[in-house]
Amino acid sequence: MTDAALMTHLLPALRECVGPDGLREAAATAAYALDGVEPWAAVVPCDENEASRALALASEHGLAVVPWGGGAHQSVGHLPTRYDLALDLRRMNQIRAYEPADMTVTVHAGVTVTDLQRVLAEADQFFPLDPPLPDRATIGGVVAANLNGPLRCRYGTVRDLVLGMRVAHADGTITKAGARVVKNATAYDVTKLHVGAHGTLGVVLEATLRVQPRPALERGWWLVGAPVEECQTLATRLLGSHLAPNRLEVIVGDGRAICGSPEPGPALMISFAGVQDAVEDQAAALDGLARRAGFRIVAIENGPAVWRMLQDFPWGFTMHGTAFRIAWRASVLPSDCAKTMQALAAGIPPTGMAMAATVAHGVLRGEICAARPDDLVVRLREAREAVSGVGGFLVVTAAPAPIRGAVTMWGPTPGDAALMRQLKAAFDPRGVLNPGRFIDGL
Amino acid sequence: MTSETRRRLLSACRDIVGADGVVSAPDELRVYECDALTTDHRAVPDLVVLPTSTDQVAAVARLCATLGVPIVPRGAGTGLSGGAIATRGGVLVVLTRMNRVLDIDPANRTATVEAGCVNLAISRAVASHGFFFAPDPASQQASTIGGNVAENAGGPHCLKYGATKNHVLGATVVLPSGEVIRLGGRLADQPGYDLLGVFVGSEGTLGICTEVIVRLLPVPQAVKTILAVFRSIEEASTAVSAIIARGIIPVALEMIDQETTQAVEAYAHAGYPLDAGAVLLIELEGLSAEVATEAGEVELACRAHGCLDAKVARSEEERTLLWKGRKSAAGAFGRMTRNYYHQDAVVPRTKLAAVLREIAAIGVQHGVRVPNVFHAGDGNIHPLLCYDDRVPGQFERAMAAGDEIMRCCIRAGGTVSGEHGIGVEKREYLRLMYSDDDLAAMRRVQRVFDPAGRCNPGKIFPDQPHEERTP
Repeated sequence: MTDAALMTHLLPALRECVGPDGLREAAATAAYALDGVEPWAAVVPCDENEASRALALASEHGLAVVPWGGGAHQSVGHLPTRYDLALDLRRMNQIRAYEPADMTVTVHAGVTVTDLQRVLAEADQFFPLDPPLPDRATIGGVVAANLNGPLRCRYGTVRDLVLGMRVAHADGTITKAGARVVKNATAYDVTKLHVGAHGTLGVVLEATLRVQPRPALERGWWLVGAPVEECQTLATRLLGSHLAPNRLEVIVGDGRAICGSPEPGPALMISFAGVQDAVEDQAAALDGLARRAGFRIVAIENGPAVWRMLQDFPWGFTMHGTAFRIAWRASVLPSDCAKTMQALAAGIPPTGMAMAATVAHGVLRGEICAARPDDLVVRLREAREAVSGVGGFLVVTAAPAPIRGAVTMWGPTPGDAALMRQLKAAFDPRGVLNPGRFIDGL
Repeated sequence: MTSETRRRLLSACRDIVGADGVVSAPDELRVYECDALTTDHRAVPDLVVLPTSTDQVAAVARLCATLGVPIVPRGAGTGLSGGAIATRGGVLVVLTRMNRVLDIDPANRTATVEAGCVNLAISRAVASHGFFFAPDPASQQASTIGGNVAENAGGPHCLKYGATKNHVLGATVVLPSGEVIRLGGRLADQPGYDLLGVFVGSEGTLGICTEVIVRLLPVPQAVKTILAVFRSIEEASTAVSAIIARGIIPVALEMIDQETTQAVEAYAHAGYPLDAGAVLLIELEGLSAEVATEAGEVELACRAHGCLDAKVARSEEERTLLWKGRKSAAGAFGRMTRNYYHQDAVVPRTKLAAVLREIAAIGVQHGVRVPNVFHAGDGNIHPLLCYDDRVPGQFERAMAAGDEIMRCCIRAGGTVSGEHGIGVEKREYLRLMYSDDDLAAMRRVQRVFDPAGRCNPGKIFPDQPHEERTP
């Protein structure tokens, strides 16, 4: 059957799976374009049965499926090698169970981070993860792309916060992994395999998450006026001390553009959160350490706005006057953040670059700009060399279409890639889930 | 195993690890027939090897692969679910001689240790840098990090800090084929599937871990330990929820019932009141100011829910004494009953009071005593089913009660094991929690790592009809 004939045959069957309201075809597929490539159709299931039926049908006919949440982070990864159907989970947007005293919440994959936070706030709790673009980012997408933000300094990442999930497999089978309780050592923790797998092993439909009490108070400071090496020294010292920073970031480059830094040059940003006495004690300790290290300390007045800008960086960010840009993330040893930032910045004027580092985990993010695509490729290569020079790796998280096709988005192949390939073959033997999207062609 | 296979195995293992690293005499092998699981599961391995390097483990694994023999990893043998028993014979690889701390990196807050390194030895090794390793299973003075990784070990303090899986950054693993791979590592967010995440807690069925990179935490500024006394378990359970509802996450929140309190007090003399229905041992850790505020809140929450008395440890000696009571519980079991079966279910915190009430009723109905000392803060209960194997029918009654308790916990939205693992003893209970499809997904993972099914066979998964002991 030709593609067109197949679609004529399948569209009614897909409509059968998700109902007339749940099928997007013709012009409506433009919303699911990846670098100009549109799927034949998109299905928007209301519940897990609809999702399961649509996947089973797609799998039976070998259709390549791209799971879709808010679409805010679809720039991550390579373009899929085939793309027939988008599986949009945004109509699966219910809070399934929430018992504040258990400090767990079970949500559909299509619930946005912001909507979840609104519900939790009513019980004075929150989901301690701050991924970029939370208004659009869905829980399913956050889990699949393993997104996070500066709060990881204190609360960890998705793998620490997901307790259980329901997953649709390539053939539509639905399985449960993990549990709804905060402690579990019952057989394999399969949830881990889906975190950061970009939907290549299965589609997360529902997740049970650990939530936390909202701290009574958060206060933050800019530490400016000292070189980036001093930021590193102080950060390492703080992280090894009894102080418990809520956020701890180093920014380099156009700090004003990143999140409104009071002055140019590198800055260390820090906040403490908790009961007032504890915040004040820590502030006093910080004050002494920072002054001795030669920093000027400026209180962050409009905390929520500043933290939100930093959380969205570099996703919600475009450098002034930029023609072509690449957004990236990189990982190095925590103690090598400053060294890496210096290597990345070498030869570039401070106004021409922007980067931030979550020092606790050695995770950097930023953007590279250039007037022409060719220059951008050269700059990316230089950046990769700078990062690998200190033993780290760099992942491109957004790039213009021609560059996305021309460079490796993910960085070096991991040592255990052979096992990963076998795992992919075992979970998705027909290669229908986001084919070719992930590292090493997974 | 044929005598020819056994002879080849013995001679090749001696070549790999040296004669002093091989145990083959029948009476010496018997030492390894069980671990700390107290019910009647035993199996004598065909051979025990004690390697001293990853290369030796890999060579032994290749040998077992060539001969088609099961290979079973073992640390200190303190596991409570029978995970280190060579159920289907084969070679038991005991990692206790690989116990070195290889590297401490204070600037990056990590340590790299060999799998046989004892849990507490890690904290001791990094103490001078102001750090500690958070997971604290009750066995921490003896259990190895390799075993902790296999079982995803917890402990009282994982209420705040999380279990082993939250503190392991990387592992060197010998696959059943003998291939050596590195999972995870010191760099965060490595692209690719989180194989380390699924390896931790896989109970030695996916490979043998030989080295581990662990995350270290700075020693907190302050610690406060409170003993709160209640008339009943029910009131104590409500207080647990009330503490959490105030937005406080203690580092540990343990409940000890009256029967256990009395048994412990008889020889530990921890100062636990003998007439209390239940006591809560509550520990707060963090910044001094935070701990001080929270201690006040905890006391209020307890008093609002029928707390008769709350005692704060005023010195390190008093604190140690309060913990001595809790930590002596396992030792006291022997005084409370001739035999026992120790469960490990987890229920949602909010269901604790109801579940505990039901457990008491089940005990009465079956005529089985079920004392309980457990991690109340995270809902991880440890009902102790007491029996006397000399009295006909008692074992069966205890097992029947255990079965009902497990079903009750799952009905409440709970899970089969919180920290002990499934091993050989809870395999059939998995079906209460997971469908055939759920288990098939796990089996798929297992086959990727261990296609021949030779790595710690007979563990975790419920029996399948075609499974037979390797000849």
